[in-house]
Amino acid sequence: MAARTTDATTSAPAGRSRTWVWTAGTGVALLALVTIHMVAHHFVVERMGGLRTYEDVLDYVANPVMFVIECVFLVVVTIHSMLGLRSVLFDFGLSDRAKRLTDRGLIALGVLTVAYGFLLIGVLASRA
Amino acid sequence: MSVRRGADPGTEGIRSARDDVGPIPRKNVGPVAWFDIRKRGLGQFAFSLNRLTGLGLVFYLYLHLAVLSTLFRGQEAWDDFLGIATTKAFLLLDVLLVFGLLAHGLNGLRLALIGSGRGIDHQKALYRSCQVIGTILLLGAALHILGGD
Repeated sequence: MAARTTDATTSAPAGRSRTWVWTAGTGVALLALVTIHMVAHHFVVERMGGLRTYEDVLDYVANPVMFVIECVFLVVVTIHSMLGLRSVLFDFGLSDRAKRLTDRGLIALGVLTVAYGFLLIGVLASRA
Repeated sequence: MSVRRGADPGTEGIRSARDDVGPIPRKNVGPVAWFDIRKRGLGQFAFSLNRLTGLGLVFYLYLHLAVLSTLFRGQEAWDDFLGIATTKAFLLLDVLLVFGLLAHGLNGLRLALIGSGRGIDHQKALYRSCQVIGTILLLGAALHILGGD
């Protein structure tokens, strides 16, 4: 079994390694995506806190490039969050059955999160 | 190389496993161990900080989505929110968010490097570098967000 593990009770090193690669990969991608998101929302608009007005928000999401970047950001941040939560929950020493249930619950939560985010972005873009 | 749960792999263990890709082995696991800082090294502190900031950021993700739902209700509702969001107290929370992002992001980058077998011999220097870069970026962001630039 590989040494680089913290949840050594599972018996699928390949799966664990895949999870780590996804967590690290989405994490590295988030460094760029979060930077774009934070700069766009806090460092572009010339007002206290850099927050956008309602019209500014609509114009922002109506821009096709920003629309795609925000959608990708939502998907990547959700995957990273769910994998992080999974890692934290597995730290509680769950049984195999509980781990399977946790995986399913987190997949469902992730899908709902992305669906709600897409709905929000889509509705706002359609109002511009 | 094989490391049992709870066993201390040590630097040699990490080094000998550098060809494997995955999380870095730790002395203890479990949420209680996150807060136990007795006789722990830099790695354990960084790991605990990553876990706590990660949980905080997940909480913020859903808080953020809930706040953005205000946009569904139109301009008036959003303007009301902006009235609160641009107060100094609220902007301080934004600075806290930037701290969480920097701490989690930079330390995560360090963990990704070490976990993929890079920079294992320089992990303390990497950590200190992340601290310096993070502090500079946080100060710059705080000055900007709070209107000090």
